[in-house]
Amino acid sequence: MQELISGILNFSELYPDLSKELTTVFRWIFVLLAVYILVRCIMSLLSTRPTPEVWGYFLVEDGGNFPITHWENVIGRSKSADINIPLKTVSNNQVILTRREDERWLIKDLGSKNGTVVNGMPLTPNKRYVIDIGDEIVISGVHCTIAPASLEEAANNRAMRKHDREPVAPWQILLAITLFQAMTIVQLILSMGDGVSAASLLSIAVLCGVMWVYIGVFKAMGRKGFEMEMIAFFMTTINLAVAASSQYGSAFRQLIAALIGIALMIFMCVYMRDLKRMRKVRPILAGLSVGLLLFNLLFGTMKYGAVNWVRIGSMTIQPSEVVKLAFIVIGAGTLEELYEKRNTILYAAFSLFCLGCLALMGDFGTALIFFATYLVVSFLRSGDLSRMILTVVGAAAMGLMVLRFKPYIASRFAIWGHVWDDPADKGFQQTRTLAIGAGGGQLGHGAGHGALEYVGASDTDLVFGFVMEEWGLIIAVLLVLCLITLTVFAVISIMAGRSTFYTIAACGASTMLLVQTILNIFGAVDLFPLTGVTFPFVSTGGTSLMTSWAMLSFFKAADMRRNASLVLRKEV
Amino acid sequence: MRKQEKRAIICILIAVVLLGGVSLFVYRFIRDGNKWATFYGNTQIYTDGVLNRGTVTDRYDNVLINCTGKGVEYNSDWTIRCATVHAVGDPEGNIPSGAINAFQSQLIGYDLINGTYDTSTEGKRIKLTIDAKANAAAFKALNGRTGCVGVFNWKTGEIVTMVSTPAIDPAGAMPDDSGASYYFNNFLQGAMTPGSTFKLVTSAAAIDTVDDIDSFSFDCDGVNEYKGTDFTDVSTHGEVDFRSALAQSCNGAFGSITREVGASTMQKYVEKVGLTDSISINGIDTQAGSFKFPKDDSVKLSWAGIGQADDLVNPCAMMVYMGAIANSGEAVHPSLIKSATFLKEITGGMPLGKYLSSGTADTLKSMMKNNVKSNYGEDNFPGLDLYAKSGTAEAGGESNAWFVGFIDNEDDPYAFVVWIKGAGFGSEEAAPVARTVLNQLIADNE
Repeated sequence: MQELISGILNFSELYPDLSKELTTVFRWIFVLLAVYILVRCIMSLLSTRPTPEVWGYFLVEDGGNFPITHWENVIGRSKSADINIPLKTVSNNQVILTRREDERWLIKDLGSKNGTVVNGMPLTPNKRYVIDIGDEIVISGVHCTIAPASLEEAANNRAMRKHDREPVAPWQILLAITLFQAMTIVQLILSMGDGVSAASLLSIAVLCGVMWVYIGVFKAMGRKGFEMEMIAFFMTTINLAVAASSQYGSAFRQLIAALIGIALMIFMCVYMRDLKRMRKVRPILAGLSVGLLLFNLLFGTMKYGAVNWVRIGSMTIQPSEVVKLAFIVIGAGTLEELYEKRNTILYAAFSLFCLGCLALMGDFGTALIFFATYLVVSFLRSGDLSRMILTVVGAAAMGLMVLRFKPYIASRFAIWGHVWDDPADKGFQQTRTLAIGAGGGQLGHGAGHGALEYVGASDTDLVFGFVMEEWGLIIAVLLVLCLITLTVFAVISIMAGRSTFYTIAACGASTMLLVQTILNIFGAVDLFPLTGVTFPFVSTGGTSLMTSWAMLSFFKAADMRRNASLVLRKEV
Repeated sequence: MRKQEKRAIICILIAVVLLGGVSLFVYRFIRDGNKWATFYGNTQIYTDGVLNRGTVTDRYDNVLINCTGKGVEYNSDWTIRCATVHAVGDPEGNIPSGAINAFQSQLIGYDLINGTYDTSTEGKRIKLTIDAKANAAAFKALNGRTGCVGVFNWKTGEIVTMVSTPAIDPAGAMPDDSGASYYFNNFLQGAMTPGSTFKLVTSAAAIDTVDDIDSFSFDCDGVNEYKGTDFTDVSTHGEVDFRSALAQSCNGAFGSITREVGASTMQKYVEKVGLTDSISINGIDTQAGSFKFPKDDSVKLSWAGIGQADDLVNPCAMMVYMGAIANSGEAVHPSLIKSATFLKEITGGMPLGKYLSSGTADTLKSMMKNNVKSNYGEDNFPGLDLYAKSGTAEAGGESNAWFVGFIDNEDDPYAFVVWIKGAGFGSEEAAPVARTVLNQLIADNE
């Protein structure tokens, strides 16, 4: 690497005009490559139309037969029940029918008015019973039974899934990312000269290697659909370039964080296959989270106005970032769990505890992210819009109190929308982001050529401006579109989802990433007060990058394309 | 499951908020990006609020100023620095009409695609039309007196000399005093009493509108009393016709001619020959002149017709008028930017309008030649095919020297204006300055 650096530096000393022209041309190539990489990944994800699988038929006496397309189904009079029996005697949500891995079924009465009887035996409400295909189920007097999906049907099912649009093949995109990474290394040397650190450049090269190994290994195992990972690898490349260019960052530390994040993502994907396991691990996660947050409160260090850092030896970590993962797992639940009051109350209590801790730390940006996620997850669980509105109103009142007692936050609200009135002081960061970001134009000045790096928090809170300056507006906006795509993809995939656990987890993760991005970008460009949160995947900061990668597992869990999700066992 | 599927739409709503905000931002970026990027806090282009890039050269590529991240470099020659300071300007912005300030947006070179990224390898450059050596010659010839010298090519419109004094050395201390006289560009921003040079305007009006102007005759007794006011001349001219009245610059005769032309026609002609307009020279606006021709006060009207009373003329506008006489009545738009790789020549060489009919222009031209032959002496201007009019304007108790006109040398079609405050007679004090500068320009152009 040292030889490469001195080689390129000699070249640029010999031909200064040529190396300047090289940068001028590189800017175009970077943008074209980024558009190619990200548009192909985005198009592939958005064109997904997962075919619902048919797991059996639910036959209703005089009411026809309904295909069972999920692992978890509600049967009842409610129009939104998965199997709808529109009879007065049937309760709105009468029973839950859950498919087990061994292809037998579980049935659970949700405390219905007129009761459910299986094979002549009345069911005790809120207790699970194992039933088999052909068993007689009497739902408030209506005779029903489960019929198997015929062999033909099953074959058909499989055939249809084979006809699903295939995920885009990764190789060309991988080559494009590799070229992008190689050019980034050259560009950083051209821009920074002697100031570039060999370790930073090496980190980008290692990331490239890890990317090939990751996709190569899983491809060899018969997996497909790597768009999300390729997007994440691309964004991580930008992250490393930002860290290499910024005087405060360390690309090497970012690389380590990314590697831990990737490992965590794979682990979480595999672990989430078994929902019973998830149920068991939840209290442990809750306990660990509480411990982490308390530890943070007691031993945290103040940084940028918030006490959300913990120093362990030479390492600083942000516990609230890690707790984000637990927060999603604890909020998500199987359909059965959603009908358990205890589960709901525990989730609300846990959320309140997290929010309280974050408020005490003074990290109101992250508190807002947690709060938004709590709202979305509770809405998915209960569907209770009025309670949601009430919560928002209550929170807004609390927010006003915060403004009253925290002049630091109030001053940020005061300058919001008027940053050009006080560019020397209160609007300093935003005006610099806008001015220097706009100076980047559509194509940027080339990695390593930044002026924004001398403004505080430029590689974290203001990273959107950093990317605008060095990479241009097009790439900066593409990064946002990537995150939006993950969300849209998750929502599309839910239609064929097996369990509400995956659905809620994906929606929770979406909310977290989106709200975080909203706060980060809007704050930096004066569409919202500056809150000081990170841009997922792109902001430097080890814990943030690691969590972003781990968060990807929730999206992988929602991916219902054949053999695309590591969360599902491979189909033959 | 179906309920959760429906409720998941809420995530799309959040995505819409993000997309909407980013779209709003992109819209603002397109609308205001230029304003943002040129903000003084943009350290890509400013160091401590001072522009850190851009080079300004004269027409022969002599570097006049070079802004870098490490500081500002000026030409090494003191005379050239002082002689070009008003054309070049200073990065602190004390001289707003200087190139470094007036053309700052070109030096920054913001565009929507590249932002402030400089795609050239040699850096942003502005090549001015001025000849630094001729400027220096003019500065020396002014010899510490307050004044200005302007010369432009009346065919292409390129301003080849623009000097204003007093000047200041930009490499030295630049006091923060916007009212200081050394920051004021007399040539572009000045408006002064034109004195006898204005008779060229009165003459144009007379040629066009006084029917028997060729048979005009006036008997100058040196005092020329009219309605109790003396229109004194330097000497007694005796019997003069129109041509000799201009050559001798006879005040009595021109008072009489002005009265024949009349107030409203005089007003029409100062407008017609562009003296009441402000001209935009590559975006720098010149000062407009102002005149009063009273209809009910023939004494004051007479004074106005010989370039006194309330007449105020801008030297640059006078120079453009001289160019129009040389160019058969066709005025050419003056310009200061020669060619910069990133900027098309926009306004230079463009016609500014028909100031005079070609017949009128030719008559004036021959009369101006006559001035030189009979009054200033062609021998005093060897090598110059000179057409001119001198002036000695009385203002504020001082005699301000003027010399305006043009040369019609084949490769050097230059129109000029020289004004020196309190110097005395135009033909004696201002004419030699014009000669020195024109000779330097011709020598440099070979």
